[in-house]
Amino acid sequence: MRPFSLTTRLTAFFSLSSATVLLGLGALIATSMDQHFAHEDFAVLEEKANLVRKIVQDAAPAAMPARLGAALQNHPGLVALVRTGEGASLYATDGVEFRQALDAARALPAGKEEFTWRQDGAEYRGLRITVGGAGGEIHVIVGLATEIHAHFMHGFLHSLVLYVLLSALVSGVFGWWAARSGLAPLRAMAVRARAVTAQKLDERMPVEAVPLEMADLASTLNAMLARLQDDFRRLSEFSSDLAHELRTPLTNLLTQTHVILAQPREAGEYREILASNEEELQRLSRMVSDMLYLAKMEHGLTLPDAGVIAVQDEVSALFEFYEALAEDKAVAMRLTGRGRIVGDRLMLRRALSNLLSNALRHTPPGGAIDVVVASDATAVTIAVENDGKEIPVELIPSLFDRFFRGDKSRARPDSESSGLGLSITRAIMVAHGGDITAGSAAGRTRFTLVFPAKDALPASSAAGARGQ
Amino acid sequence: MKLLVVEDEAKTGEYLRQGLTEAGFVVDLADNGLDGQYRALSEPYDLIVLDVMLPGVDGWRILQTLRAVENNVPVLFLTARDSVADRVKGLELGADDYLVKPFAFSELLARVRTLLRRGSGQIATDRIQVGDLVLDLVRRRATRAGRRINLTSKEFALLELFVRRRGEVLPRSLIASQVWDMNFDSDTNVIDVAIRRLRAKIDDAFDAKLIQTVRGMGYVLEEPEDLR
Repeated sequence: MRPFSLTTRLTAFFSLSSATVLLGLGALIATSMDQHFAHEDFAVLEEKANLVRKIVQDAAPAAMPARLGAALQNHPGLVALVRTGEGASLYATDGVEFRQALDAARALPAGKEEFTWRQDGAEYRGLRITVGGAGGEIHVIVGLATEIHAHFMHGFLHSLVLYVLLSALVSGVFGWWAARSGLAPLRAMAVRARAVTAQKLDERMPVEAVPLEMADLASTLNAMLARLQDDFRRLSEFSSDLAHELRTPLTNLLTQTHVILAQPREAGEYREILASNEEELQRLSRMVSDMLYLAKMEHGLTLPDAGVIAVQDEVSALFEFYEALAEDKAVAMRLTGRGRIVGDRLMLRRALSNLLSNALRHTPPGGAIDVVVASDATAVTIAVENDGKEIPVELIPSLFDRFFRGDKSRARPDSESSGLGLSITRAIMVAHGGDITAGSAAGRTRFTLVFPAKDALPASSAAGARGQ
Repeated sequence: MKLLVVEDEAKTGEYLRQGLTEAGFVVDLADNGLDGQYRALSEPYDLIVLDVMLPGVDGWRILQTLRAVENNVPVLFLTARDSVADRVKGLELGADDYLVKPFAFSELLARVRTLLRRGSGQIATDRIQVGDLVLDLVRRRATRAGRRINLTSKEFALLELFVRRRGEVLPRSLIASQVWDMNFDSDTNVIDVAIRRLRAKIDDAFDAKLIQTVRGMGYVLEEPEDLR
């Protein structure tokens, strides 16, 4: 089920919390008011009881009822019962039956004087005292009806409930408004996001204009957009590069063929032109194979075998392969270190071969190529380092792009390189869970392949980690 | 030697037939799966070149049918889809080799010859001679016109490959694979350099050149006319 909207949740939360707070406060006030009233009532009762005590002790027995009457009559809500120990009534408030009061007083434990009783639907607070007078013990009960206080409390609670309801409603409205206006920047972002299309990737979220809490989200989204824009740019550059790369050899082939067909020629000339065509076609065919290989690597369709490979053996085999070329160019090739990786032998050879052939192309006569294999607990690195002109720092991130050429002005720097070698090498490294880095300084250029160490490799990452 | 080519793409099929015929084979061409399967089952061939994607009956089915009736004719299959699964499938079904389109014709020719030779078994020998070039396979030594030629072990392996397959045009990819075990195209001219260096040792000092360049195809070692 879809959760309630943020606005609904905030509105409910505001209403609920204001109602809770006000109800709590009301209960607190009501309790303390009740206590205050009780305190007041008992103070009045105490005073009356003292008065009765005084009369009982001082007055002559005959004058007692009249004096008691004078003392107790004129207080609204006050009831009193004064009896001798034998049960003879000395004074009782008119029209009041004291049966419930007597029952409640009798049930009191000895010593406790304060009590309450109900009678005829009204509640009374009472005080029981016993006075030892001249004519024996006198029992006194004075009571005060709580009706007036109860009426007040009732009114108070009534208006409290009304107030709580009203304020819950008001804070609900505030909550709704706060949520709406608080979420307004999100809606603004949504509007911006809607404007982003493949052709218009330069829209960005308004980081400065949104509240602090959303600035993080906005800048994260902006970073994502920037990455997308970059990838997209590469992709469109790649498409146009590809068209260009294919167009050049195709133009050559077409022109040559047209010119040759324009008039009859010697057999030798035909042979010559066919051989030249063959070279162009080989190039095209290799480019297509390389692109297919690259596409399959990048989509995880070609998964590396997971065998344990001794890197130094593969490097030595490649040195043997390139030996003639290196000697021809007077370039020395040296290998130091050793290490074992888990991976695909053919892919490793291909990756290293691309680096070595690159190095051979760019090392001046008399220079050297060093392959350094090193391993530690987490990684096995294979560095291929050669003498030669440095690669400008700003070009290094683009080195691994397809068809990247150091010098854009040279359309076809040499006919052998497809411009995909480094891309393929990187794709092979990614498929192995590794990485490739490049650096160039002080007349040395270095490419480093980083493989996860044999033992540090998660069980599934060498092969089959990515589904087909 | 009689070959069957099963290929539905008309132009490819026709050029394959022409190329293989000119290389000295007798070639039958079937342009659909049904026809191909019928011929493969009914006539004895020395080798079948089989396209995988065919209308009617596909290459896999033909191969399966052949092996099911214990017809063990060597089969080289051609595929446009270079996926490991495809290759594994073909080899599991009993194919002997495969080539991924687009391929060089010289590569196909070399593979066909390898497969045909496999059946007859390589002649066990410790000495091969072509004209005045003599290879001592046991001691890994080469002499020409009685003069000892100093070769590195890879140079000797390269020369041995040429000598064993003399008269055949060897494409660069095959040389890289057979001599150095590099089963991918290098984007350098390393094979040309290696062959230039070999030529410098065995040919430069002599008038009759053994190794010839076949432009667009590769290299071939032939016994020169005047040494026969």
